[in-house]
Amino acid sequence: MLGDEGIINLLGAGSLLVIIFLVIALIQKMEKIKTLQAAVNKLQKSLDEMDEQAKLIVRIDMELNKTQEELNKKISGLYALQRLSREISTTLEESQIFKRIDVDYLNDMGFEKSCGFLWNVGEKKLLLKINIGYSLDETKSIESALDINREKYSELINLIRNKKTASSISLSDSALKDWLKQLFKVESFIFSPILPKEGDTGFLFVGTENTETLINEGDEELITILSNQLGQALENARLFEKTWHAQQNLENKVGERTRDLTNALKEVKITSKRKTDFISSVSHELRTPLTSIKGYASILLTGKLGAVPPDIKERLDKINRHSDELVHMVNELLDIARIESGRMPMNKQQLNLKEIVEKASDLLSAQLKERGIDFSSSIPNDAKAVLADRSQIERVFINIIGNAIKFTPEKGKISVNAHKAETGIQVDITDTGCGIPAEAQEAIFEEFYRVDNPINQVAKGTGLGLALVKHIIEAHGGKIWVKSKLDAGSTFSLILPET
Amino acid sequence: MAINIGIGIGQDKDTLQATREALRLAKSNLHAERIDLAIVFSSVDFSHQNILKLTSDILGETPVVGCSSFALISKQGIFKYGILVALLSLPEGIYLSTAFIKEISSKSVTLAGEELGEKLLYGFKNIRRDLSVIFSDGLMHDAAGFLWGLQEKLGKSFPLAGASASDNLVFKKTYQYCANEVFSDGACGILWGGKLNFGLGLKHGWKPLGKPRYVTKASGNVVNEIDGAPAATIYEEYLAADLVKLREELKRISIFYPIGIFLPGEEEYLLRNILSIEDNGDLVFQGNVPQGSMIRLMIGTKESCLEATRQAADEAKSGLLGKPGNFVLVFNSVSRYILLGRQVNKELEAVKEIFGKEMPIIGIYTYGEQAPLKAINFQGRAHLHNQSIEILAIGG
Repeated sequence: MLGDEGIINLLGAGSLLVIIFLVIALIQKMEKIKTLQAAVNKLQKSLDEMDEQAKLIVRIDMELNKTQEELNKKISGLYALQRLSREISTTLEESQIFKRIDVDYLNDMGFEKSCGFLWNVGEKKLLLKINIGYSLDETKSIESALDINREKYSELINLIRNKKTASSISLSDSALKDWLKQLFKVESFIFSPILPKEGDTGFLFVGTENTETLINEGDEELITILSNQLGQALENARLFEKTWHAQQNLENKVGERTRDLTNALKEVKITSKRKTDFISSVSHELRTPLTSIKGYASILLTGKLGAVPPDIKERLDKINRHSDELVHMVNELLDIARIESGRMPMNKQQLNLKEIVEKASDLLSAQLKERGIDFSSSIPNDAKAVLADRSQIERVFINIIGNAIKFTPEKGKISVNAHKAETGIQVDITDTGCGIPAEAQEAIFEEFYRVDNPINQVAKGTGLGLALVKHIIEAHGGKIWVKSKLDAGSTFSLILPET
Repeated sequence: MAINIGIGIGQDKDTLQATREALRLAKSNLHAERIDLAIVFSSVDFSHQNILKLTSDILGETPVVGCSSFALISKQGIFKYGILVALLSLPEGIYLSTAFIKEISSKSVTLAGEELGEKLLYGFKNIRRDLSVIFSDGLMHDAAGFLWGLQEKLGKSFPLAGASASDNLVFKKTYQYCANEVFSDGACGILWGGKLNFGLGLKHGWKPLGKPRYVTKASGNVVNEIDGAPAATIYEEYLAADLVKLREELKRISIFYPIGIFLPGEEEYLLRNILSIEDNGDLVFQGNVPQGSMIRLMIGTKESCLEATRQAADEAKSGLLGKPGNFVLVFNSVSRYILLGRQVNKELEAVKEIFGKEMPIIGIYTYGEQAPLKAINFQGRAHLHNQSIEILAIGG
């Protein structure tokens, strides 16, 4: 049995044990706390270290972003400049050049506001050519500020004369810088002169309200290139306009001359028609009395109205002969008039050129023989078929060969040769006659023209034969010309349509 | 019956010519007589009054909504300059109303949101409401407050897709269009109802970097302290730059390294762009950053950005539940345009790959995107997002 003392001792020992246990537990707990605290400290340290790393990351990232921004700005700016330059350089109208700069290009170059001015000689002031990023009121106030502030205005003109780009970072005159910033409502700007070699100069102003946009030398270079491009384009446009005006003047003059010539041709045609009509009517009027004269002369010559003494007979013969000549002349004139007015249709048919030439030489054989002229013809088979009016073509050959006989001295030669040409059958009638002076070679085909030579002075002729020949040939769609040399003979060439 | 849509773009330098051309093309591409809605987007270099005047002259009483943008998106490409018009003809059973609110900065943004909500609901008493699409001023100071007010009226879980209008990155003035009015500092919207079928996808693709931090002092969209230090310290440390340098690089920092707010249950962090850095080190963000939020510095790459686009398009397509869509609306952050640089068209290609080459697409680049968060604890409430691509596929 334990006494009170025993119980007390037992309790004391128990308490001691509990205390010891508690102390041990406390020590263990403290150890654990210490360990945990160390872990927390370790974690905190890691966190702080990580935070430090985060700081480094942010700083590097910031630098990277800035560099990237710069790079983006440069690439966009250069790309915009390249596209804009291409557009500007292909614009040849002065008024359109500035319009090529639009807000997108400007933004890509890092700006949102722009004004462009050019000097105007007429108004003796700078005139606005472009405004981007300004309202109508703002534009007006910029223009009037330039008008009012003469001092700053002349400073601006000096900037243009200096031929150097200035900007909010490079402009040393701070008063002017602030004035420009205020006037154009920007924080940063670039001012670049536009200097074409000829004509009016001006300036390009670009700017931004953005306080964080920092302009650097690269931006200045970019805008300088742009203003140079503008100057070059203005130069090209002005040159083009000059050339274009010159060309327009030339075209106008050519037009005027063409109109004059057309009118003259019309008049010639009218005159020619009047002449044809006149000849036609006069010829008709002449033919009737001529027929009567010839008739009466013939009656008188028959002696039915009484014996005709020889000297009267001689005169009557003359009347008769001259009347024949006059009738012949009137007939030829009438034919010319008919052909010219289209009243004489050509009855075209397939003809043998050989036969035509033979017929003409047969008809003229007496004269040929009388003058001892050697006549020859060479018409190959491939050049013998022509499409023509028989009676008219016969007239042509008789006329030309007849002329040749007339102007070829005795024992001379006349030859007719034909060959195929590009546009038909070409016939050349060559003589060894006196030839035709160069100045008369075209005129001989005109009515009443006669070459001034000794033969013509004695020989008879109306001056209508070759004119008629020309009309007949042309009415066939052919042409006639002559090559001749004085005292060396002539060659009349004509083209006739082939079948 | 399906929704008919005709899209046209005009790019003439003259505002009236460009508007006329866009409307002409849109009309010729719309194979319907009746026009129920015109959506107009425009780059900033136009006379916006003239766009609206001519549009309402030509279209008469047809409701018009839209806004200005840094760039325009259509099936044909991405355009830095132009006027983009979409004309819609609705089948039986689909309804819409449009409304706008102006001069938001002169009143409480929450109340302004509520007012727009009320106006949109006008005339929608006995019709089932499906979706609201909002275009608001991208320079609005408290976009989150505005959204809050709007949803108080339209319904806290009511589907909302929105775009913050942008300008040409100068952050000076954006334009909103509604009826025949042009205004800045406002918002306009469309409320759809009836049997509308739609799918919505939103992603950004930015990844967290560095250790988590906590917002220890903040109010609205201004963060004063992070981990007990002035808020700007986070950027000073990460970029090894002082305040002056940070301010110089603000736009770049804001785009490439936004802050991500951790949201339990959400796949992605909610991004916030910095609007300004104050002298005392305060960071002013485009949207609100609640005090106590766990935040991370975020980093984006072109690849992650494009992958996010594919995911958003997939999500929008699957939201249609197998039914065909009639057109796709894209609200894409301007930050993504800058990040992608010369590869900007790849995003459009990715969308076309998923919806097919023939699907009509119309969209803009934005200063902020509004869409619901998906996790259940957010109850479908819409939030302001940054740097995201929001794809809304709509079918009749």
